[in-house]
Amino acid sequence: MGWFVIFVKELTDMLRDRRTLFMMIGAPLVIMPLLMTTIIKVTESQVEKARSKELKIAVLGGDAAPELTARFSAEERFNIFTDIDEDSVRAMTAEETLDGAVIIPSGFYELIKMDRQASVKLIFKSSESFDAARRRIENIVGQYSAEIVNERIDRLDLDPTLFEAVVIVKEDVASTRESFAENAGGFLPYLFIIFGFMGSMYPALDLGAGEKERGTLETILSSPASRFDIVLGKFLVVMLFGVLTALVAILGVFIMVWQLPSLEVDIKAVVMDMLGAQRIIFIMSLVLPVTAFFAATGLAISIFAKSFKEAQSIMAPLNFVIIIPAAIGMLPGFELNYATAAIPILNLALATKAILAGNVEPILMAEVYLSLFALAGISIFACAKWFNREETLFRS
Amino acid sequence: MIKVSNLSKDFKLSRKQRREHGDEYRDRKTLKAVENVSFECEPGRVFGLIGPNGAGKTTTLRIISTMLKPSSGSVTVAGFDTQESPKEVRRNIGFMTAQTALYDRLTPTEMVQYIADLYGMNSTLFEERKNRIFSMLDMESFADRRTARLSSGMKQKTSIARTIIHDPAVVVFDEPTTGLDVMTARRIIELIRTCREEGKTVIFSTHHMAEVRLLCDDLAIIHSGKLYFHGTKEQFESQMQADSYEDEFVRLVGEA
Repeated sequence: MGWFVIFVKELTDMLRDRRTLFMMIGAPLVIMPLLMTTIIKVTESQVEKARSKELKIAVLGGDAAPELTARFSAEERFNIFTDIDEDSVRAMTAEETLDGAVIIPSGFYELIKMDRQASVKLIFKSSESFDAARRRIENIVGQYSAEIVNERIDRLDLDPTLFEAVVIVKEDVASTRESFAENAGGFLPYLFIIFGFMGSMYPALDLGAGEKERGTLETILSSPASRFDIVLGKFLVVMLFGVLTALVAILGVFIMVWQLPSLEVDIKAVVMDMLGAQRIIFIMSLVLPVTAFFAATGLAISIFAKSFKEAQSIMAPLNFVIIIPAAIGMLPGFELNYATAAIPILNLALATKAILAGNVEPILMAEVYLSLFALAGISIFACAKWFNREETLFRS
Repeated sequence: MIKVSNLSKDFKLSRKQRREHGDEYRDRKTLKAVENVSFECEPGRVFGLIGPNGAGKTTTLRIISTMLKPSSGSVTVAGFDTQESPKEVRRNIGFMTAQTALYDRLTPTEMVQYIADLYGMNSTLFEERKNRIFSMLDMESFADRRTARLSSGMKQKTSIARTIIHDPAVVVFDEPTTGLDVMTARRIIELIRTCREEGKTVIFSTHHMAEVRLLCDDLAIIHSGKLYFHGTKEQFESQMQADSYEDEFVRLVGEA
């Protein structure tokens, strides 16, 4: 039972380490929801600010379209300027002393009266926050145009359907859950993967390279515990921390969703339903082998390194190997199929999306499990072999 | 007792290591760290393994402790072969270096408990041994304080306690006093003497000839992996051609 003695000791040691606890609890439970909530709230407030902002709009040639000009003037959040020449409005809009300009050509009103098509020129700066000037001007012109068209249809006693030959009647068969899983469901596995990785990395560093740095490796190597006992005890602790961190990240998502007042109630209900116990257990059964892979790889690197610092520098590029497939899984359009189900990490991301959407195909899930458990098995075996090499343990 | 017979250890050299070692190693794939070394360490005696840095002392001690496997030859510790019964060998040894080798987040009690658990000691025996050692080393006042908050002297005492908690028949000290202050080094020397008085087999490596004169009953001089002297302290003194231990050591190693 040497492995159990090592497991208990390493667990006690790690639970007393503030950095590990912060990585396991603080980051996913406090920092992540706080950060996400702040981003969402700041974005909402910026959108609201742009919507209610008083815009400086130049209207040139207003005499040619008195009705349209009157609508611009009636807009409460428009500050209208009329005494600027056409060349200056471009420069002023570019410099952002003006938010936008409408140039009405002469003969505009006559064309409208003759039931012809007229045009106005809109000068705007798309890089300006939320493109508010363009949107609001287009809204006013669009409403004005629609009213004219309706008046023409009435006056000429025309059938309105003449102007819309084909109408699309939309019927979305995707449930709210499926839509949400496709659009936002990729974010959840991204969190599991990143936090599972982060949560296992620090214990791996401490239990491998840290042991070498402290000189305690020789103490346990000269004890009756076998190399396998040592590596198994350490591996289980590293994996446990990875899994717990991933679970805490789910709890963080719960908290985040729960306390977001702007999220629609039905979306909230869907998210809460999606994160039900059964689904979480299903997802965690996939997270388990991936975390085993992280733990075995992290421990192998850590035990190979001469110091904590060297281990950190070797592990840094590993971040990309993890993040890239996890990020691809977030992209819309990527689905679980026979090819993607074989690619570790990407398959976890896509399988999680499928589980959340409720459209799991058993054969593909079997392939995902096979791929992930094979990866975990290979990495654990490699780690145990690696730990038995004298060149690794006493590398100098 | 420790019996080392015709022990050799080769290390594979990486391309980088071959470059770093210079022309002599350019075409060699291995480095002979220990070459055909034989000696015996008796219970109740202190055996000094003496040699300059890189002589092969640590490699020899690591083989004795089963951390490394010999390339050829054999080692038996307390009657067990290191390759055939490594677990039994480890059960009989305590290993100590100059590094305190402790876990900062554990207390001295937890540290020795961990080692005792690894050695499979039952709780009654553990309590008895722990109380005796903690009392002997005057450790009661800080027994439940985390190691990170201990002074270097307290840490060294904890390190001694974890080395002998399981009452090993053989104690291996790898340069135990290197880099230590006088007071701490003296405590280690006292521990070595106590081990001898208790009838344990003690082997320690050093390059301090003063320690050899002070402690050793038997000694071996090793250089570049080869043994240059093996015998009792009296035999060493009787064949000395130089005036002091240091000069004799330099003469022997210089001749090599």
